[in-house]
Amino acid sequence: MKQARRLLVLGLLLFSAQATAQVEALTPQEQRYRDSITKLNQQNATIAASQEAYNKGIELFNNKQYDAAIAEFSKSVNADPNFTAAWYNKGVAENEDERFSDAVKTFTNLIEKNPSYAKAYFQRGRAYQGLSDYLLSEKDYEKSISLDPANPKAYYNYGTLKFLQQDYATAIRYFTKTIELDPAFAYAYNDRGSCHRMMANYPKAIADYEEAQRKNPNLAFVLNNIGTTKKKMKDYAGAIAAFNRAISIDPNYALAYNNRGATFLEKGSIDDAQKDFEKALQLQSSYAPAASNLSAVWFKRKDYAKALEFGNKAVSLDPKYAAGYVNRGMAKEMLRDLNGACEDWHKANELGAVEGKTYYSGNCN
Amino acid sequence: MKKILTAIVLGLSVQTFAQNVEFKSSNFKDDKEGFKKAEAAIDQGNELFKAANEALFLVQDFGLNYKKALQQYEIAQKFNPNNAELNFKIGVCHAHSNDPSKCISYFKKAKQLDPACDPFLNYYMGYALQLEGKYDEALKSYQAFEAEYKKADNFAKFVGQHKKECAAAKTAEANPVRAWVDNVEALNTPQDDIAPSISTDGAEMIFSSNRSNSHQTNEVGEYDYDIYSTSLNDGTWSKPKALAGTINSTTDDVSNCLSYDGSKMLLHRADQTGQTDIYESKLVGANWSDPKKMVFQISSDKASETYASYSDDGWKIFFSRDSDTRTSGTEVMFSAMQNKMKQDYMTAAGIPSVNSKFNDGPIYIHIDGETMYIASQGHESLGGYDIFVSKKAQGQWGAPVNMGYPINTPYDDFFFASTANGKFAYIASNRSGGKGGYDIYRVTFFGPEKKPVVETEDYLLASIAQPVKDHAIESTVDVKKKSLTVFKGVTIDAISRKPVEAQIEITDNATGQVIETFTTNSATGKFIITLNSGKNYGISVKATGYLFHSENFDIPAGTPDQLINKTIELKNIAVGSKIALRNIFFDHG
Repeated sequence: MKQARRLLVLGLLLFSAQATAQVEALTPQEQRYRDSITKLNQQNATIAASQEAYNKGIELFNNKQYDAAIAEFSKSVNADPNFTAAWYNKGVAENEDERFSDAVKTFTNLIEKNPSYAKAYFQRGRAYQGLSDYLLSEKDYEKSISLDPANPKAYYNYGTLKFLQQDYATAIRYFTKTIELDPAFAYAYNDRGSCHRMMANYPKAIADYEEAQRKNPNLAFVLNNIGTTKKKMKDYAGAIAAFNRAISIDPNYALAYNNRGATFLEKGSIDDAQKDFEKALQLQSSYAPAASNLSAVWFKRKDYAKALEFGNKAVSLDPKYAAGYVNRGMAKEMLRDLNGACEDWHKANELGAVEGKTYYSGNCN
Repeated sequence: MKKILTAIVLGLSVQTFAQNVEFKSSNFKDDKEGFKKAEAAIDQGNELFKAANEALFLVQDFGLNYKKALQQYEIAQKFNPNNAELNFKIGVCHAHSNDPSKCISYFKKAKQLDPACDPFLNYYMGYALQLEGKYDEALKSYQAFEAEYKKADNFAKFVGQHKKECAAAKTAEANPVRAWVDNVEALNTPQDDIAPSISTDGAEMIFSSNRSNSHQTNEVGEYDYDIYSTSLNDGTWSKPKALAGTINSTTDDVSNCLSYDGSKMLLHRADQTGQTDIYESKLVGANWSDPKKMVFQISSDKASETYASYSDDGWKIFFSRDSDTRTSGTEVMFSAMQNKMKQDYMTAAGIPSVNSKFNDGPIYIHIDGETMYIASQGHESLGGYDIFVSKKAQGQWGAPVNMGYPINTPYDDFFFASTANGKFAYIASNRSGGKGGYDIYRVTFFGPEKKPVVETEDYLLASIAQPVKDHAIESTVDVKKKSLTVFKGVTIDAISRKPVEAQIEITDNATGQVIETFTTNSATGKFIITLNSGKNYGISVKATGYLFHSENFDIPAGTPDQLINKTIELKNIAVGSKIALRNIFFDHG
């Protein structure tokens, strides 16, 4: 058997040698043919590499490794610039990674390659929204809706844009359309409720928030919105009940503690308010509003040194938090640091706080 | 046992302390000379005391009488400090001094020694309690006085005023105005420091003080008032300097009002008889000119005028006037010009809407021309002089409104010099806690009550709380790794090596499908095709007159330019020819 194998190998070697020996130089025609096949092979290899990177990117995206996913999708489109799915996925990953400028470029490339790619307009709209370029965002959502009128998310996002532009009536129309297309869209109920709230139609706001809560009982922020709306309605008991429910859903919900504290303070329960603000700050040590509200508590207690301490904390946690400057300025004033107070109110005014403007103009000129 | 002993000792102490020692010779048998001197001093003091009281009752200037009486009483007090009546009288003298808080201990002692020592003791105890801020107790004391005092004179108006003051002070202290009042220590002395007046920007101040100067003291050892200036540098007032030149005389020179631009001032000056008149001095270069007495319409011959103020437009002079014929103290008046060039002031007229039954003035007209700050012992005073504000509406000055605590206190609080922005003002006060006498205080207004900002936070847009993430991306694709190999060959006669035209069929051995069928070139026997790399193929070759040829071969997954070159040797059909089936592995380049 061993002998037979040796013979086969010998035979093969001989055949190979024969084949090699008989290789002729390629004619020009044959060379051109070979070159064309070589080129085709190279193209196929590139496409395969592009597809492999694309698939790898999807795997990374699903693992929320957006940076790495973007790198793979970039490889994919670099290898095959016409691979529209890779462009799309790259843009979505950039949106997820909040690299909105990159996402805009990516989707713009994609749209140039395929102007009827409806989802690309939606995603670019979202990227523009992330860049606070609401005008361009709006245009993209409009285009997305025209290409794909059955996409509730486009209506929803368009509605949020209108909300941010304080065009609450239009926002309500779009949220209503969202709900028509997707009756289970709890967010749309919440946001429509917020439109009503901004239009001071609190009963309608409460009705929508409660519907959102029925659609998804685990949304603590919806209960928080119910609480703050009821606080506006001076329904302190209702507000506190809503915040309690929000906290029961999410015991670490600093926002709800802070807002319940504000409700307690408004109804005159300063001790309860202080406890809640302290709890909010304990849960979220970087939460400037709770620190600022504690400054307000100490101010009301006429302990201006403590009010200053928490005012300092608020502005150190968030140097752009206007209310922190307002409250710290008030503490400084009562501690006879009038120049410091004026500096803080001026800063608060620059950051958009009405109180900053009022106090500065009334006390510092 | 120890407790009982302590109680007895304490009881004896109180009894000893409460013993009223009458000024009777029998009480001072050991020091008859001393007694005589004390008695004489009391007699002298009583005359002055009586004169002062009479002026007080008429709301007139009691001059130095209380001070001079006090000097005499203090001689007697050294001899016998435990006489109720003497303590009471000393208390009264202090009560009407520039340092009234000193009266409190004397009235308390007088009451301890003999609560019936004087019919006015309850009245003055009320005043002492009022100064201490014990308004309910003060009210009871005033009421006790009222119940006992049956004289049908006009003293009732003082009691009524003090009762009103207690009620007003209680309310005011419960609702303080939003201002801080700070002693400007750099400007004050144990003597009187009064009449602050500032430039509009608040950087320059003139004021008056009877602090030690180079002049002679008066009968009670006090210096005359001079005018001083000071500048505010980096929040600190410089050391006051007496104004140079003739503006400061050897009698009282009291600054009244600095013009808004600081170029002239009004002052009042006393003559040798004690009558005061308004003067004006102008700033010439760095010096103040010799003060000129204002026209008789303002500085009259028969009355004393004090504390004048320019009006905002310069057409009027406001001032206080007193006279021996009045029984309601000084009153605020004004005199207006008809022609500024001529300075032809008209007869002064009172302002009934701002004058009370007690002393009114000093005044200060704010640069806005619509606001008058007026000091008064009447109206809704919290005690002593208070500062009020009157607003002009439709050409008429409105009823003065108390500026509230802590600007005003049960003590004297007067003068009001405000910066143009209204943020700061300077007043004078003899409230307790100062350096002595009247001191200058700085008032800092901290504006209307400010409410701290308490912010709630919402996620009004759900997508902000939990962003709508439409991250449905496009799905995966099947990767097509397709690679072609150029398969080139030639069919030849195995013996002659000449080209043979042959039919070739290539089969994909994995699927069994024939994937290529072709005929080699009849002239050259050559063929060239492409096959997918990485597969095993079967090749069958047929040519007429030749044995059928077949073999299997692999094309490996190679480089993009992979080339397989194959020479297929065909054998003529002849007896003995054999067909070999082979698996072939081509070399590739």
